[in-house]
Amino acid sequence: MSRRYDSRTTIFSPEGRLFQVEYAMEAISHAGACVGVLSKDGVVLAAEKRITSKLLDPGHKLEKMYQLDDHIICAVAGITADANTLIQYLRLSAQQYSYAYQEPIPVEQLVTDLCDLKQGYTQYGGLRPFGVSFLYAGYDEHFGFQLYQSDPSGNYGGWKATSIGAKHNQAQSILKQEYKKDISLKEALELTVKVMSKTLDNTTLKPERLEFMVLKRKQT
Amino acid sequence: GEAMSIQTYNGAAIIAMSGQECVAIASDLRFGVQNQTLACDHKKVYRMHDRLYMGLSGLATDAQTLYKRFVFKHNLYRLREERDMRPQTFASMVSATLYEKRFGPYFVEPVIAGLDPEEGHAPFIAGMDSLGAMETAKDFMCAGTNSESLLGVCETFYRPGLGPEELFEVISQCMLSGVDRDALAGWGAVVYVISKDQCIARTLKGRMD
Repeated sequence: MSRRYDSRTTIFSPEGRLFQVEYAMEAISHAGACVGVLSKDGVVLAAEKRITSKLLDPGHKLEKMYQLDDHIICAVAGITADANTLIQYLRLSAQQYSYAYQEPIPVEQLVTDLCDLKQGYTQYGGLRPFGVSFLYAGYDEHFGFQLYQSDPSGNYGGWKATSIGAKHNQAQSILKQEYKKDISLKEALELTVKVMSKTLDNTTLKPERLEFMVLKRKQT
Repeated sequence: GEAMSIQTYNGAAIIAMSGQECVAIASDLRFGVQNQTLACDHKKVYRMHDRLYMGLSGLATDAQTLYKRFVFKHNLYRLREERDMRPQTFASMVSATLYEKRFGPYFVEPVIAGLDPEEGHAPFIAGMDSLGAMETAKDFMCAGTNSESLLGVCETFYRPGLGPEELFEVISQCMLSGVDRDALAGWGAVVYVISKDQCIARTLKGRMD
């Protein structure tokens, strides 16, 4: 309905919706799932790989997870090309902060930087939004370990456990039931595996299809 | 006192030497403003990664700023490439960065020392002027307010194929005697000896004048 209002991002529909933003989120709901769980000693990110062909040569790189700085990592769901651009932006943003202030960028500030960019694409320029959602896992001295999620609208939130991508509603309800306060890192890792195993098809659930990244303090 | 040139405002002495599967890089520790010495723990050698170090002589503020800019660039490189920069690649980047400011340069003279991960950790030494004109060397590179003296002692004491321990002895003697003729450099020295598996940093006690 109201299709005449969805060709431009910069206008609302009569019902007060931004269709392009919603369509971007629809694109993401078809992408490989990602789950994040925050624990007191670290943060776990897990992702489902979508290997489209046996002939694909992945090299050493992880498909859906990236390091942004020494203290922040992220997982992506959505259009890979859009994600790559935003990852570059995030890495640059983190280094610009480090250069200016000679300290690591606080996690939420990095998230905000990117969300401000994403929001701009829903209001100015007549360009389409980025079809990517992010899960960010980071540590800083101000707030310790943190987990954030952002979407194409530029909205973000801090989470104890969350998921994006395919079947994220299912994953979210499992997390709601199973997540407990003061969960340990080991339990968080087990929880992500549990969530992935319950939301993914059993026929396709193999170790090669999952990626994990854990953010924790270095042993000294 | 009388006006000093901007290249001699702070004072520095830097030597890099190559040995058998190792390199060493040393700097003095003086920090001064013209004739007044303000600190004797101001290193001029900076670590870029485990097998790449850079010494920056010249104006201290420019050296500090440049080091921060190179950390910025190298961090982004490492995130993209998932590996550390090779020394020759880094040296080319330093040269390009300096040349960008051709008509308003940074007043520094860099000396780069490292081990090349792609050529069996072969030693790499290079130096350049403040506009980025680069030269590599097989033996040693010097920079600073009294680089002529440093070159003189290096020429005398250096021989090729030194192991890490011997290289440390040779570079230390060169540094300590080289700075004695320089009023603006000295007050102790720091020496880094970089091998494939480790980097050992040592502080030298020298004449504190």
